[in-house]
Amino acid sequence: MYKTAVRGKLVDGDKSLSQISTDILTPIDAKTPLWWYAAFAVSLLLFTWGAISIFITLTQGIGTWGVHNSVGWGWEIVNFVWWIGIGHAGTAFSIFLLILRQKWRTAINRAAEAMTVFAVLCAALFPLIHMGRSWLFFWVFPYPNTRGPLWVNFNSPLFWDFVAITAYLIISASFWYFGMVPDFATIRDTTRSKIKKAVYGFFAFGWTGSSKEWLRFEGLAFVLGGIAAVLVVSVHSIVSTDFAVSVVPGWHTTLFPPYFVVGAIFSGFAMVLTLVTLMKKLYKMDDFITENHVDAVCRILVFISLIMGTAYITEIFIAWYSGSEYEIYMFFKNRITGDYAFQFWAMFICNALAPQLFWSRKVRRNLLLVFIISIVINIGMWFERFNIVVTSLAKDYLPSSWAPYDPTIIEIGFFAGTMGLFGAGVLLFFRFLPQIAISEVKMVSKYNKQQSDHLKPGHHDYE
Amino acid sequence: MITNKKYLVGVFNDEHTLIGAFEKALEKGVVIQEVYTPYPIHEILQGMKTKTRITYAAFFYGLFGVVALIGGMYYAAVIDWPLRFGGKPSNSFPSFIVVTIVANILIITLLTLFTFSVRSKIYPGKKAEIIDERATNDKFIIVLDQDNMGIEMPEVTKLFESNGASEVYQKEANSN
Repeated sequence: MYKTAVRGKLVDGDKSLSQISTDILTPIDAKTPLWWYAAFAVSLLLFTWGAISIFITLTQGIGTWGVHNSVGWGWEIVNFVWWIGIGHAGTAFSIFLLILRQKWRTAINRAAEAMTVFAVLCAALFPLIHMGRSWLFFWVFPYPNTRGPLWVNFNSPLFWDFVAITAYLIISASFWYFGMVPDFATIRDTTRSKIKKAVYGFFAFGWTGSSKEWLRFEGLAFVLGGIAAVLVVSVHSIVSTDFAVSVVPGWHTTLFPPYFVVGAIFSGFAMVLTLVTLMKKLYKMDDFITENHVDAVCRILVFISLIMGTAYITEIFIAWYSGSEYEIYMFFKNRITGDYAFQFWAMFICNALAPQLFWSRKVRRNLLLVFIISIVINIGMWFERFNIVVTSLAKDYLPSSWAPYDPTIIEIGFFAGTMGLFGAGVLLFFRFLPQIAISEVKMVSKYNKQQSDHLKPGHHDYE
Repeated sequence: MITNKKYLVGVFNDEHTLIGAFEKALEKGVVIQEVYTPYPIHEILQGMKTKTRITYAAFFYGLFGVVALIGGMYYAAVIDWPLRFGGKPSNSFPSFIVVTIVANILIITLLTLFTFSVRSKIYPGKKAEIIDERATNDKFIIVLDQDNMGIEMPEVTKLFESNGASEVYQKEANSN
């Protein structure tokens, strides 16, 4: 097990424990910066646009969208899968890196978990509105009813999806919240403001930091972590079965579940990178999110990007090797070349080629470049979903049912609205909640002091 | 029942001295009421000898979940309202597994959280029983019940001080 030599220091600046609390809590105590208000206003504007679009959809129907009989799934499913993918980072960060004993996750996991909750919320809106009569959404729940009782179809991937997203939203939100309880207690006990003491005290659930609490807290984290790891893999596998169990060319492939899960973690990590570069720049969290942290995420992205590239090429190879003329047409005449070549190549370049720049240490250490590439990956992952959803539906087996698809302004507004919702959520998180897990950072901060007795051989080092 | 209790509080500045003093105190037969720390310290959790069975509880919630979910789906799809589609059997068990796994994870999570909340008495709006409020920030606190300390007070004080305590003081607080 490495100590700190491989990654460098986990916390810069040789901070005392109380300094760690103060530094991380600065955004909560300090005056709200001007840019925050500006960004929040923009988010609210986008959100309003989305709310108006949703209102129009609800009052006038799905006919206000560009979807039709051939392309029944348009931007809504593209955006749904995109958001759900982004939402995979939080749990992936907290769970997989916990299992892999990566101590550097402690600076980033809180932000990743927050992002997960907002992203899954955004994602859940799309199928909800796409139902048409959204006010009857509760018919999806399997409960004894007066309609027969007519039960839901337990074999349908769409129902699996509903269960998976509901579970994912509730679990990631509770994982995030319970992780924050000890930090809320820190705010309660260190703040001078009576209002903050009362509010954060309420949310701290009476936490005192006693050994009994920590013992059960660790047990809880162990249980939630262990089972949520299964969830990360299953949620996006289920999303992929929405496509893979159909007989549509380009969808009917066994590669989909791993391809979707890896893609989800890829886009999620890219979004985490976007957020941490912002935290570093705007909130001066450089001592906690060091160059080494950014470096580590970039290295993971190179690796996942290679898997993505392999998946893209495998898909193309299998289409050719299958000898199915519909599959061959889909990949060679409708994606690599043809009407949707732009979307295909945008996906390929953004996801499989652009992240290869991270092989260079200079690029990994350049915050602006890292930020730009993280955005490029997010765009690329959106194109990937567009590529899958729209190209296959627009040209299926029957040329008579071929039809182009373009989103209407309502659909664009709906997507912009979720961007606004996500932005507003993240900004509120930055402003009012501890951005970094204080107690976890305190726990790893001792690994900086390599000369102290803590790290002498034979001493228990919490592994 | 709420009574006024007298405590002896030892304050330490870092984890290392805390563990040293904690282990010495246990050796001398001191009865430690509770230790408050800013983050979990495994030596303390082990030394306090309290055990948590939350993982076992979670396992049984999982068993319960599997039975409830598969039973529920079987009831709905086979007994209550069998649908005929494509000549497929009503009991399409293998495809029930997906919902069983995912919904079971939700069941385990919610029940385990509830158990944690009940057992640790951590719930919304609870008023914290704080002995020393620096314990959630940067101090490591050992608390002893003056009525049951194992050895005499001057001895304990001396033990703490000689093992790096930055402060040792007495405190009266409500306890239930």
